[in-house]
Amino acid sequence: MIKNILKKDLKRKKTMNIIILMFVILASMFVASSVNNIITVINGTGYFFEKANIGNYDLITMGQNVVGNLDEVLSKEDCVQEYRTETVIFGSQDNFKANGKKVQVRNSALIQSLDDAQENFFDENNQKVSTVENGKVYITGGFMKENDLKVGDTISVEHGNVKATWEIAGRLKDAVLGSTFMGNPRFLISREDYELLEADELLREYYRGEVCYITTSDEKALSSVLSEIDGIAFDGSISVIRMCYVMDMVIAGLLIVVSICLIIVAFVVLKFTITFTLNEEFREIGVMKAIGITDAKIRSIYVVKYLAIAIFGAILGLFGSIPFGNVMMKSVSENMVLGNDKGIMINICSVLVVVLLIVWYAYFCTGKLKKYSPIDAIRSGQSGERFKKKNGYRMTKSKLHATTYLAINDILSNPKRYLTIVLAFTICSILVFMCVNTTETLKSDRLVYTFGKPSDAYYTNVNKAMSGMSGDGKDAVYEALDEIEDELAEHGIPAKASVEMQFRYKVEFEGEIYKLGFQQGYRTQITDYLYYAGEAPQNEHEIAITEQISQKIGAKIGDTLKITIGDQTDDYLITAYFESMNLMGEIIRLHEDVMTNAGNSASMMSFQIDFTDHPTQQVIDERVEEMKDIFDCDEVFNAAGYTEYCVGVVDTMQGVEYLMLAITILVVILVAILMERSFISDEKGEIAILKAIGFSDNDIVKWHVMRFVIVSISAVFLGVILSVPVTNLAITPIFGMMGMHSVSFEYNLFQICLLFPGIILAVTTLAAGLTALYTRTIHCRDTAGIE
Amino acid sequence: METMIKVSDLCKTYIVEKRQNNVLRNVNFEVKKGDMIAIMGPSGSGKSTLLYSVSGMDDATSGEILFDGKDITKLSGKELAKLRLDDMGFIFQQMYMLKNLTILDNIVLPAMQSNKRKETKEEIIKRGQEIMRKLGIIEIADNDIHEVSGGQLQRACICRSLINNPKVIFADEPTGALNRSSSEEVLDELLKINNEGTTIMMVTHDSKVAAKCQKVLYIVDGNIKGEFELGKMTSPDQIRDRERAVNNWLLELGW
Repeated sequence: MIKNILKKDLKRKKTMNIIILMFVILASMFVASSVNNIITVINGTGYFFEKANIGNYDLITMGQNVVGNLDEVLSKEDCVQEYRTETVIFGSQDNFKANGKKVQVRNSALIQSLDDAQENFFDENNQKVSTVENGKVYITGGFMKENDLKVGDTISVEHGNVKATWEIAGRLKDAVLGSTFMGNPRFLISREDYELLEADELLREYYRGEVCYITTSDEKALSSVLSEIDGIAFDGSISVIRMCYVMDMVIAGLLIVVSICLIIVAFVVLKFTITFTLNEEFREIGVMKAIGITDAKIRSIYVVKYLAIAIFGAILGLFGSIPFGNVMMKSVSENMVLGNDKGIMINICSVLVVVLLIVWYAYFCTGKLKKYSPIDAIRSGQSGERFKKKNGYRMTKSKLHATTYLAINDILSNPKRYLTIVLAFTICSILVFMCVNTTETLKSDRLVYTFGKPSDAYYTNVNKAMSGMSGDGKDAVYEALDEIEDELAEHGIPAKASVEMQFRYKVEFEGEIYKLGFQQGYRTQITDYLYYAGEAPQNEHEIAITEQISQKIGAKIGDTLKITIGDQTDDYLITAYFESMNLMGEIIRLHEDVMTNAGNSASMMSFQIDFTDHPTQQVIDERVEEMKDIFDCDEVFNAAGYTEYCVGVVDTMQGVEYLMLAITILVVILVAILMERSFISDEKGEIAILKAIGFSDNDIVKWHVMRFVIVSISAVFLGVILSVPVTNLAITPIFGMMGMHSVSFEYNLFQICLLFPGIILAVTTLAAGLTALYTRTIHCRDTAGIE
Repeated sequence: METMIKVSDLCKTYIVEKRQNNVLRNVNFEVKKGDMIAIMGPSGSGKSTLLYSVSGMDDATSGEILFDGKDITKLSGKELAKLRLDDMGFIFQQMYMLKNLTILDNIVLPAMQSNKRKETKEEIIKRGQEIMRKLGIIEIADNDIHEVSGGQLQRACICRSLINNPKVIFADEPTGALNRSSSEEVLDELLKINNEGTTIMMVTHDSKVAAKCQKVLYIVDGNIKGEFELGKMTSPDQIRDRERAVNNWLLELGW
């Protein structure tokens, strides 16, 4: 008999059963893909580094005759358990052309043979790169993206006496150098092509270097040993490399937030549907009780029905979760191989949880029928019966049009029902607004002070930087700065040029030795920078540190560090804290009077230009464009552009923003369609009666759409309001990982108050409106069939 | 007397699972202004379908239905909705009202939606309260629909059907779900309304209800098998004779 009742039920209540099925598919899809993505992101870089086999300490050497130096030291050290080295040839921006055009290279590029590679590299499908044909090259994804290159394009190299042209065979995922903050492109070529480069004497002598992957038992001891070796361009433990992926992880972290939100949305909507449909069943439950069917049997009918729908929906959801999860993940894993070893098992377990939850909830909801007599059971169905006092809002007191009043009154009379929609839409709106706020902040000039002194314009020229870094002392850099000022003056632009230099010096504090990053402005004053605690250093023996440095070495304002600069070791008093996103915030600022040697600098940042005639922002922007012509270079920016350039993930963030918007639109459409369809099914009688007393089809559609419009306006309004504290709470700690102490977010009012709410509202209205057209199929004659 | 409704060759056919079901077959009748007519017949004979077709709630398959001189079979859905709103009132067996509105709100809803009388909201409310007072249910104006009895609710439905001063009230077994005393109260109200000049066309199974009407149509298998003119009831004492006459007539027709 149960089988027959079920069969009839599935047929007769086709619409509601399809709606439940759709929600189960949606919930299973969201939960399975989200749980998988969360586990993948939590594994994050660990999974990538393990797959890439990069040891736990990596370093890069470059310069004249450095190859082989490492072996002498590392082979004797007890703290080194294992090390592997690969030889590379360094190149710069001027050595490469793509499709015959100039390319942008942020840092030195590394060219190497795949056969010599000690690291595992992956292509964009996360497959290990195992061969490179002659004349072909794999290049790091960041470089390809920045220069808008695609597979099949050609890269020509002119380096030393070698000229070669390679066809791009694919994008490369490189664990050590592929992060946004490392930003060194790597060119992976065949052994034969690499041997051509190595055969050139000039390249072999001056441009060779090594990348070394070390497994060490004592990082501190190793760091101390390495501080004695010359020619180290970079050295860092795996935790440093991991930190370089912070921006990628920020985006991946956002995915966790999105996933959690989708799970919440899925369960909120699922709970609504089950409660809603079971309320519909109460009349039948009452009838069954009346004719003597036992409670256990009645419950089993519904549990079996929901189990059948849940299993069917979960299977479909499981299939949907795989492409859906991949789409979400793809936008955040451009530079990383993200994944987990559990694969589809996580999805299967997740949908099983969804099935169990549905069955448990159906069992729980039907539980109360035990307490009821048949009549009680019939009357417990809330559809058509109300046992609460109506809200105080009366049509007789309202000034609104009848349909608008009906819409508002419905929401006030049954807020729980609409809360589901508000919750789902608010959560999705907050996600979108949070991404918009983060992207806008990264695009604005609000963070520029964390890279150096705020200036009017920023100009990157690797050759000028190299020539500045080749001399002793500060003079060569000053000459480069003078040249820039003169060139601008010739074009009638009065300007002062300055530059931020970075160094690595030995630091001793409380008996511990560290090699830390330092920053000093050439032709700037230390008082030009912002400090959030203490006083700006006043003389050459005073320094400012970041919170990250303070945490790393335990020093605070008032403490003294022993710093070795060149051959000189002196005491330096910490007088202030400042914020910096350079070197992930692990940096110390030196007074301008400290005699540093640009020749020993680790790197030089962009040249900073301050116009001395204090022009307006419009003039600054015009001059930035003019400077591009003057210097024949695209890398001239205003403050906002420079921040975007330094952060380097604005494009990806924008992609995530659009992904969030797409997910939100998807959720909004599905929730609106399914909810509206549920409402129509529940209100069939009311619709028929309204039509019978003279409401037109359009009035009915207006009434139904109006409810969604009101609810989505409330949800989006809540989203806008809540996005401010949520952005602060969720995103500030992420910026904190990059070296920020506090963030003043940029809120683009047009986007978060008008554009995106407008899109969400328009989509809701359209989805609800199109679904509400279904009310046209309900006729006034259906009043005869009202139960 | 002027004709209010004129039905000519009305046919209504449903197709269920490829099988044609002729519910109404060439139905012809007339309703004069101020008439109160009852439609009777066995279950499934097409009474309700006839009522819904004549009131424009359901489409006719063929034929002509003149409502106050206007052929409603030629009207669009929107025009029909306006006609139902402004010129027709409906009472159903189930006292169906919107569950989220109070009794008074339910009653005034059609007037709020209509532009017929160009009244202010206050005037509509006043009129709604007057009608409720007239039908003796003013004390339940602010109640929710579950707080009142079936009889009160059906009277509220009558109030709603009257709010836009309709030309005709269509009632589908208005006393079908009520007990005896409530039924009589409701019928008395309908009689009063009819005496004030409103035309009423109702479907009923109850010969006692039909006996209060001026004319009874008997429908079998979608055809009008007979019409019985009773004339206006001038005194409540006539009800027994009228009921007997209706019953005899129905027996003759095979009821």
